Amino acid sequence: MIISQLGYYSLIFGLLTSIFIFFNSSVQIKRNDTVISSKTTGLIGFQFFFVFISFISLIYSFIISDFSNETVYSNSHTTKPLFYKITGTWGNHEGSLLLWLLVLTGVLLGFIFKSRNEPSNYRRLTILFHQIIIIGFFVFVLKTSNPFNEIFPVQTEGLGLNPILQDPALGIHPPILYLGYVGTSIIFSAALASMISNYVNKSWAKNIKFWILFSWIFLTGGILLGSIWAYYELGWGGFWFWDPVENVSLMPWLSLTALLHCIVTLEKRELFKKWTIVLCIITFALSMVGTFLVRSGILNSVHTFANDPSRGIYILTFLLVLVLLSFVIFTIYEKKNFIQKSEIFPLSKETAVLINNWFILYFLSVVLIGTIYPIFLDVIMDEQISVGPPFYNKLILPFLIPFVLFMSIGPSMRWIKTNFKIGLKNFLIIFFTLIFSFITIYFIGKKNVFLLLLFVGFFYLLLKSLDQLRQRTKNFAQILSHSGFSLLLISILLNSFSSNETIKNIQVGESFVLKNEKIIFKKIAVEKEKNYESIIGFFEVLDEKNKIINLRPEIRIYNEPEMATSEASIKTTLFKDRFITINMIKDQNFFNVRYQQKPFMIWIWISTLIIMLGGLFAIFKKNKEFNI
Amino acid sequence: MRMFMKLKRLLKIKILIIFILTYFSFNNTAISSSFYEEQTINITKNLRCLICQGQTIHESNSDFAESMKKYIKGELENGKTNDEVFSSLTKKYGQWIVYDPGISRNTLLLWSLPLLLFLIGGVIIAKKIFRKI
Repeated sequence: MIISQLGYYSLIFGLLTSIFIFFNSSVQIKRNDTVISSKTTGLIGFQFFFVFISFISLIYSFIISDFSNETVYSNSHTTKPLFYKITGTWGNHEGSLLLWLLVLTGVLLGFIFKSRNEPSNYRRLTILFHQIIIIGFFVFVLKTSNPFNEIFPVQTEGLGLNPILQDPALGIHPPILYLGYVGTSIIFSAALASMISNYVNKSWAKNIKFWILFSWIFLTGGILLGSIWAYYELGWGGFWFWDPVENVSLMPWLSLTALLHCIVTLEKRELFKKWTIVLCIITFALSMVGTFLVRSGILNSVHTFANDPSRGIYILTFLLVLVLLSFVIFTIYEKKNFIQKSEIFPLSKETAVLINNWFILYFLSVVLIGTIYPIFLDVIMDEQISVGPPFYNKLILPFLIPFVLFMSIGPSMRWIKTNFKIGLKNFLIIFFTLIFSFITIYFIGKKNVFLLLLFVGFFYLLLKSLDQLRQRTKNFAQILSHSGFSLLLISILLNSFSSNETIKNIQVGESFVLKNEKIIFKKIAVEKEKNYESIIGFFEVLDEKNKIINLRPEIRIYNEPEMATSEASIKTTLFKDRFITINMIKDQNFFNVRYQQKPFMIWIWISTLIIMLGGLFAIFKKNKEFNI
Repeated sequence: MRMFMKLKRLLKIKILIIFILTYFSFNNTAISSSFYEEQTINITKNLRCLICQGQTIHESNSDFAESMKKYIKGELENGKTNDEVFSSLTKKYGQWIVYDPGISRNTLLLWSLPLLLFLIGGVIIAKKIFRKI
């Protein structure tokens, strides 16, 4: 009770600190102070500290199950394991916004430390712009989503957390995702500041690149965790469905990826200044759009915790204000501070980066339009349509082929001008690409020219990247990420074209066959856990070599809230995942059994990790220059 | 004359491609019961479970989804084509049920806008690269 109060007042103090920092830095900017006083740094530290205290108080309230707190009451339960009590803190609207605020203030503090050698004018302006965002979100949390609301009379038991959110991967998914998502805010503030202080140059690029990589790595990780969770928890064996909530995390990722390539060009060649700034603004705006779409309740999915129009309207208004502000700043300082200088030769790395951005922005526009078009159509024409996988596949897949081809040759381009030599090696790579592609197509057994072309593109990228690995001069981080990306595409394609699945309604003792494998339903058992009861099915799979594989899918019946979930049982090998779920059928002895063979599943996760690893290498490689 | 030769060659390639495509697509013609099952999965993967939250009928185990699966398999066994099944369902439940928006008056912008943006982007980049010095 007292802790909860502490959390609330800590938030108020945080807001007051922010307002003070805002005015303080405006005064300093007017006076043109040459240094950032330790007082300002201290205040930013305090600001973070206040939010941190507030966040810890909420976690504490969750741990001790303080049901006088409305957020805890609505989302927790005494019988829940400790880990899920803690992760329940951000498994709801109010708590997740407090996490937003924590990351938002945290990245500013990080920025202050990382930018000690930058011009103070630029730093101060960054602080100023960032305070606008922080104040906006403080008000949002306090006004519409206070996590410390009290309820009276105090309840003795809470309503519990949605069981499908009670999962380790999903427990850490929000913090990781938010570090990436909200990390883009500092890029936005710094971009506006650099524009005004006429600091859009090589050293700025070097400074802000860290934050771009930082956001990019965490966003990649967050998306990965979400996909893994969807794969084993939602019970249908897919990992990506082009659902609006997935799309809103992919959009900032795409624009961050484009930005990453631009910022290196800016760093090396002082080119694309305007475009880089625009991308910085777009990236954060997309994060806000995502927050708006998810929090407003416009989308229907598991992420929508509440349906409250006032929240949506607030975020949308705030977003518009920020976009308008950046637009005004951009138009004022664009002519003043940006002078286009050198021209670009067609055969150069600059061109490669432009083409990269061209395609990525196209993919981004497909995802953006696919996500928001149905909303507009519904509002304007009162017609409901669904935009799902077929739309994205049709518009994205054909463009992937030229994209990966450009991606293959881009890294071997040089800055300014490239002289191409077509040697024997290139023919060898093309030769092996074709061999691999034909073999793959043969094994899948789907003879399709388009599929073949996709494989040719993906394998070419993989071999080209591996070839670059042998050249010491090339950049290791970039090669890792590019190889990871090609591996990801190959795994996804293989996975989606050679998965098998069947759904059968069977009783204990019965069996069925799917492509050389026999699945036997041995027995059923019931077990009681702390906050759920589980019905476990014992299955034996006889593979083509008659080896026995045991699978134990469960049906869990949670007590609070009362809800049944189906827990998949998955046996992973390097080449194939075996995936089984069971469901009860009403008033019958039959069970609904869904069995799937999913080849190369683990490679989808591994290759995404490789992509992330490339980013990590780029961050930690201090002495050597980061290149693309 | 040269033009004509070129056209002829193009035509040859086209015929070859068409030949390859038809060869590949008519490779297996035997219709088994697992064929209907596969077709049902293909169709239900593209249908929204109307009472669920963002799930396809294929993924869902709700009563609605289960009965839809049975209904669609029955329709296929009665000799209906995939397209016929889709159109009868959209007639009944509206466009909302299909995950493929298709091209219609309402979705023209949805399909064309990204492509248009791609073209515009291409023109801007081409101008930047091939600008006369």
